[in-house]
Amino acid sequence: MSVGPEHAVRQSLGTRLDAARRLGERANVRLAGEISDYFLAPESRLDERTRVTLGRVLTAMVQGIETEIRRYAARVLAGAGAEPKAEQLLKGHQDVVRRLSQAGLLRDRLLMDEMIAQVRSGLIAESLVPTAHPGEQASVLVRLAEVDDGVVASAARALLSAEAQRRTATEQGTPLAGSLPAERHHQLVWWVAASVREGQVAAGGGDPAVDRAIVEAAQRSLASHDEGQRPEAIAMRLARAIDARGDEIGELLIDALGDRRLSLFIAVLGRAIDLDFESARTIVLEPEGDRLWLALRAAGLERVAIARIALALADADPRRDIESFADELDSISAVPVEAARSALAPLALHHDLRLAIDALVRESVR
Amino acid sequence: MRVDGIPDVPVSHATLDHEGRLVAADPAIMALNDQAGGAVGEPLAVPQLATIARLARRLGILVSRGVCVADHEADLDLWIRAQPDGDGLRLAVSGWREVRHRSVAPRNAGAVAEAGDLVWEADGALRLTFVSIDAARRLGVDALALLGQPLTGLFTLDAAADGTLPMLEAVARRKSLNEQQARIRQTGARVVLSASVKHDAAGEFAGLAGVARVADDALPPAPQAGLSSSFTEGLDRALRTPLARIIAHADTIHAQAEGPVQHDYVDYATDIANAGRHLLELVDDLVDLQAVERPDFTLAPEPIDLADVARRAAGLLAVRAGNAGVAIARPLRELRVPASGDFRRALQIMVNLIGNAVRYSPEGGVVSVTATLSGGMAEAIVADQGKGIAPADQARIFEKFERVDPNEAGGNGLGLYIARRLARAMGGDLTVESMPGEGARFTLKLPA
Repeated sequence: MSVGPEHAVRQSLGTRLDAARRLGERANVRLAGEISDYFLAPESRLDERTRVTLGRVLTAMVQGIETEIRRYAARVLAGAGAEPKAEQLLKGHQDVVRRLSQAGLLRDRLLMDEMIAQVRSGLIAESLVPTAHPGEQASVLVRLAEVDDGVVASAARALLSAEAQRRTATEQGTPLAGSLPAERHHQLVWWVAASVREGQVAAGGGDPAVDRAIVEAAQRSLASHDEGQRPEAIAMRLARAIDARGDEIGELLIDALGDRRLSLFIAVLGRAIDLDFESARTIVLEPEGDRLWLALRAAGLERVAIARIALALADADPRRDIESFADELDSISAVPVEAARSALAPLALHHDLRLAIDALVRESVR
Repeated sequence: MRVDGIPDVPVSHATLDHEGRLVAADPAIMALNDQAGGAVGEPLAVPQLATIARLARRLGILVSRGVCVADHEADLDLWIRAQPDGDGLRLAVSGWREVRHRSVAPRNAGAVAEAGDLVWEADGALRLTFVSIDAARRLGVDALALLGQPLTGLFTLDAAADGTLPMLEAVARRKSLNEQQARIRQTGARVVLSASVKHDAAGEFAGLAGVARVADDALPPAPQAGLSSSFTEGLDRALRTPLARIIAHADTIHAQAEGPVQHDYVDYATDIANAGRHLLELVDDLVDLQAVERPDFTLAPEPIDLADVARRAAGLLAVRAGNAGVAIARPLRELRVPASGDFRRALQIMVNLIGNAVRYSPEGGVVSVTATLSGGMAEAIVADQGKGIAPADQARIFEKFERVDPNEAGGNGLGLYIARRLARAMGGDLTVESMPGEGARFTLKLPA
């Protein structure tokens, strides 16, 4: 029996004091959590749907990498004749997600920024209302896949495929290892590798052969990752290939929303005002929309096009307030294109430089 | 004004001036607006219509939305399109369907994907925009090569026995697609298609979202999709805290801790707290259900004392039994019955069994709890003096959402189902013997 009274009597005083101390620490951590929870501003909370989806995607990604590392490292060990070790590595089971969360590693701003943005984009894209086209006209991405321009057509086909792959993986909850930008993927693979190794060391002590196998598996995972195959990168490639003229941008943006291709929308907007995908996505996902309106003005869009985009996004994203947008529409469409462009100029700086500037400001505010 | 029984009621129109005042309207809109206290020359009096009209006027673009408006005692589902026109606004209202009171949310008929189904989506020109890759691979089809191709590149459609083609009907009438017989073009495998129609903001046909299910037994049956763990996690988190708060507040009111409360309200508070506890139990059971239904569910056995487990479970329910005027006879203190199982789960099973026995016992009755070793197995037996269970019902009560007596209050019909699954996961079993009128005997067996 696990917790019998006889057992309890035998507990030494020292054990009891230790347990009490641990409880005290836990109470401390809990209180800290409760305090920060209470003071969280409502608008910075994740809604339940985003929270659950984020948890699922994050877990699937970490587990995907973990499975890959275990399998390949076990193969390496088995190939070297160390079957028992391979077996132990394969069977090793620990909650890597939990371990990484405990260590605070998953709290990484850049990683979480990317993950939350991907989840949000997915949820908004799912909720966008499709647009019917007159006659037998196909949706925009299918049309682009059939144009004579081979570069555009192949990028459009690649985007169709990449989005189908991501959707299949998401719907089936299957591990999805390759959806992060290279730096984030690199970091995560080593974290997972360290966590797998920690479990092995705890179970059977350190072993240089196992370490080498884990390193080899991690390097293999890194080498096979191609960030250019992610839908975000392909969408950007497609936007560059289309290279929409000023008077085509509005229609293409509206068509992309009507085809529920938020990634294409973000890429076309980014291309039009010279932003990378991540920056354009940040602007598009902001519920206030202020920087999005500026960006649409900077891309030369007129009042009607801006209103249609705002309405489509508001209908798909409950965080947005279409009524207050309607109040401001006149002043938004009165912003001169040049003024909008210069207001957004800081965003067009090199991505890494911007990150460094942000970090500098954040740290000096502390 | 309501048009009952006509499936496709024509659209009604109205025009508004640049200030949003009603200029003219078809009878249906006019009647609705009159009822709300409006008139020609004044702003629209139906708030939902007025909001959409105002938004369309300010944005300067077409705005269309579905709304639900009150019309006498019934509610109407309406589809509103507000289109700015010169200085004014044209309003088109269609739908006019009476909302029927529904006990559950309406399900998107047609396309409910189950594990193993091929999920597909097509745009307004019936070109494939999505095909689930793994499911397609199992059917011998390369999903990625089909994206952008016509739907008929994936499926060959077969006419029904009466010569009709359900797909044509679905597209022409914009109704969900059911039971379209088809074959996978590349392999000839027979499938059945169902799909729901995607509508755009104006209600136009914008494509199909569907699933293809293998028609015959060509494929092994897919494992039944259970509750996903994220669903129960979310449920757990989303419900437990608010429910606990509701129960705590209701108990505070019941105890009149904040001062005297009218007697009726004290009773209501008891009802609220009891209902809250019932829901909380349901949440716990659903979380358990998710766990026990996973194919890889196992429990790590450890040495336990089944007599001790039975005594503890009886102790936990002593207060409830006392309130119901039922006595619990528990195993003697010195009795030991070694068994192998999971302590917490064994305790959970015994609490469930004794709780049921107390619930079904008459006042003054005795629930006897015994533990013994029999035939190499450890057994804990819970016997009551209730009305018993007919032989025909004895298998049924271990099913999901079944109850010993469906008319009895309390319980959600998951307890025995989960208890048996847990007992079996520990290498044991849970059985019942009973005759109507002679009480019931539940036996939990665990490996000794």
